[in-house]
Amino acid sequence: MANSALGTGGNLMQALKTRMHFHQSRQKVLAENVANADSPGFRPMDVKAPVISAGGAGGVSGVSLARTSAGHMGIGGRSDGFDSARARRFETTPSGNAVNLEDEMMKVAQNQSDYQLAASLYSKGLGLMKIAIGKGR
Amino acid sequence: MDLLKSIAVATSGLRSQSGRMRVIAENVANADSGPERAGADPYRRKIPTFQRRFDRELEAQVVDMGRVQRDQSAFRVKYEPGNPAADAAGNVRMPNVNSLIETMDMREAQRSYEANLNLISSTRRMIQRTIDILRA
Repeated sequence: MANSALGTGGNLMQALKTRMHFHQSRQKVLAENVANADSPGFRPMDVKAPVISAGGAGGVSGVSLARTSAGHMGIGGRSDGFDSARARRFETTPSGNAVNLEDEMMKVAQNQSDYQLAASLYSKGLGLMKIAIGKGR
Repeated sequence: MDLLKSIAVATSGLRSQSGRMRVIAENVANADSGPERAGADPYRRKIPTFQRRFDRELEAQVVDMGRVQRDQSAFRVKYEPGNPAADAAGNVRMPNVNSLIETMDMREAQRSYEANLNLISSTRRMIQRTIDILRA
């Protein structure tokens, strides 16, 4: 079928899932930055945003060994599949710490609202599916 | 789940900042603890240290309190001949605690503590939104 936007394998739900997964990973990296805001020599990290392709899949495409049998165990890089790139920084204390607390707080707030947006869209998608089934009223 | 891991990482930050606060409180409380007798040392200021540690279970860098170091700078000297701990010249050595430095250090600890708390409440809201998907 040409238009498979909805449905669990469809590109809308898949893209939202990738997006939410990305925001979870980013929240963890931001938590690391804030916890280490006073550790000497610590450089803050950030997560690269996933590239959502037209097919809905994206972001989670780390390099891994091909699995030729269903019994093989997966050997991948990071389990979450997102690269954590070194964040850009402009302020470093004499102890070598480059965390800017205001900047991190702004990123946390942004991350949270983006996550809420994706979660709301996901539940809207589920609502649309219920309408299609006929129980959405 | 990554969101619970973020809470655990922020908790390590809270723990070490409150440990730092405890050391600062110790310094401020002992700002006037002079020597017990002539020739003894007064209270020596303590310095809290932090160390990073990679937690394999959380797959993240958490922060811990390191060893508490002693400030090696010189003591304040006060002229007080009547003090039982005074030396022959009438001078008493007092602790090397500077209350201005301690206050600034306390502010910084407080600010970092609040940042970690902020992160925990933000993460909790994200978890709540995830649960809300089920309710819709």
